[in-house]
Amino acid sequence: MSAKPVVVLTATCLVWGVLLGITHVLTKDKIVEAERAEINKVLSEIFPSASFVEENGYYRCIENGKLVGYAAIVEGAGYGGKMKVAVGIYVDNTIRGVRVVSHSETPGLGSRVAEDEFLKQFEGKTLERVWLKSDGGDIDAITGATISSRAVVEAVRKGMEELARRFSL
Amino acid sequence: MKVQEFTKGLVKKNPVLVLALGLCPTLAITTRVENALGMAFSFAFVLIFSNLLISAIKGFIPKDVRIPTFIVIIASFVTIIDLFIHGYSPSLYEQLGIFLPLITVNCIILGRAEAFASKRPLGETLLDTAGMSAGFALIIVLISGIREFFGTGGIVIFGHQFLPFILSSPATGMILPPGAFLVMGILLAMLKKMGVV
Amino acid sequence: MENLLSIVIAAVFINNIVLTKFLGLCPFFGVSTRVRNALMMGLAVTFVMSCASILTWLIYEYLLIPFEIEYMRIVAFILVIASFVQLVEIVIRKTLPDLYRAFGIYLPLITTNCAILGVTLINVEVESYSFVASAVNGLATGLGFSLALFMMAGMRERLEISEQPVSFRGLPIAFITASLLALAFQGFSGMVE
Repeated sequence: MSAKPVVVLTATCLVWGVLLGITHVLTKDKIVEAERAEINKVLSEIFPSASFVEENGYYRCIENGKLVGYAAIVEGAGYGGKMKVAVGIYVDNTIRGVRVVSHSETPGLGSRVAEDEFLKQFEGKTLERVWLKSDGGDIDAITGATISSRAVVEAVRKGMEELARRFSL
Repeated sequence: MKVQEFTKGLVKKNPVLVLALGLCPTLAITTRVENALGMAFSFAFVLIFSNLLISAIKGFIPKDVRIPTFIVIIASFVTIIDLFIHGYSPSLYEQLGIFLPLITVNCIILGRAEAFASKRPLGETLLDTAGMSAGFALIIVLISGIREFFGTGGIVIFGHQFLPFILSSPATGMILPPGAFLVMGILLAMLKKMGVV
Repeated sequence: MENLLSIVIAAVFINNIVLTKFLGLCPFFGVSTRVRNALMMGLAVTFVMSCASILTWLIYEYLLIPFEIEYMRIVAFILVIASFVQLVEIVIRKTLPDLYRAFGIYLPLITTNCAILGVTLINVEVESYSFVASAVNGLATGLGFSLALFMMAGMRERLEISEQPVSFRGLPIAFITASLLALAFQGFSGMVE
């Protein structure tokens, strides 16, 4: 057996290793930037005129030099898989707003948890009221999508608890 | 150089319908027309460029290691498009999920490399892969159009409602997995009836 | 999400790799005409999937992450899978010729089975499973694939001898059958939170 196949295969891998390395360097900053831009976009929907200071994955929200609240992005387990939920709270630990960043719920059914009509219910609530109505709280579940609704509720609770611990609210 | 090398990919040798290859993305990401367009673009990028390169260097590749070499080349182009989409269109990246890296194992690409690009000159390879890409795009856009319309009631592309009317009571099942198989089955049966495949 | 039992149930029923995730469709339609062949293919895929999950997890954790070259995962994983399949083929042919005669033709097909690469990517990327969870997920997903393939083959064997419209014969009716199977599997969703 000649050495040619080995040489060609090794050379192919080496050349591509270098080329991919270059592509990685070219796109690396862009990827980080895109991720940050997406987080910023979601947080700005909750705190429209604030700027955000990151602290180990949590955010302080500052408006006109004044601290107005905190925000976190938490993962939860929905009906169809993972979902990412952004929670923004005022300094007194009541909810300013909730957004669903990404989810894989059933389109047209569970996916309605990402709509305003459902998410508006969270506004102004304190931690002890954030449960589904059927569990003794204030949040109306979406008909036929109780698991998805509960997943959002649990993610919001998790986010609020983590923020409270982190910033000792 | 012949035009047939291009047009055969559209219907007569359509990779999805006739050759029954590349079924996974055809069914998985066709819940929305927008995703199908993104997939069609990424797929075309990888298919055309990897096969052009393979055609260009075919004289240097020893027969024994041609498949591993093809796989490395294809996987590398997939990595490139993966990195670029991640950076420039995060929402599309999220929607396509693992089906973007999985273009690597799409049988159409390796199949064209083995059956066509490794034997033919550059010009013909370009026509062949462009035709196959167009054929693939045609099918996934068609299927996603049917599924999105019946499943959600309308077709939304880049935030614009594409159709002048919407369906008042859509059948969610169409965008769920059973709908994908159903649409594909009926489509194949119709084409068979019309004598296309 | 380290509950192994829930990983198994999810991988076999709820997120069945073929019927809800659309991976491995080529062998699902290609090798499901006979129950015997389907079982053989299922076994071969389950074996390769379990081993590939273990191998790629180790490579990702101890090679790609330390050198910060996670972006090389697609190339690295597909090479690992292809070489592993090649290796298994050689070993079986040399040591167990009988087994080779039964499995031989399925092995080369497995390299381009997107379910294998899919599972390895899901393990490290989508779910970030631990080592044990990855191995269990690989095995369970393989079993889920076998189950779907086995059921499909059983139905297609019956379909073949029953009357059906000419234009639906062959692949079209197989897709309709798969649609009904997928519909049945939808019933499992939401079973494990």
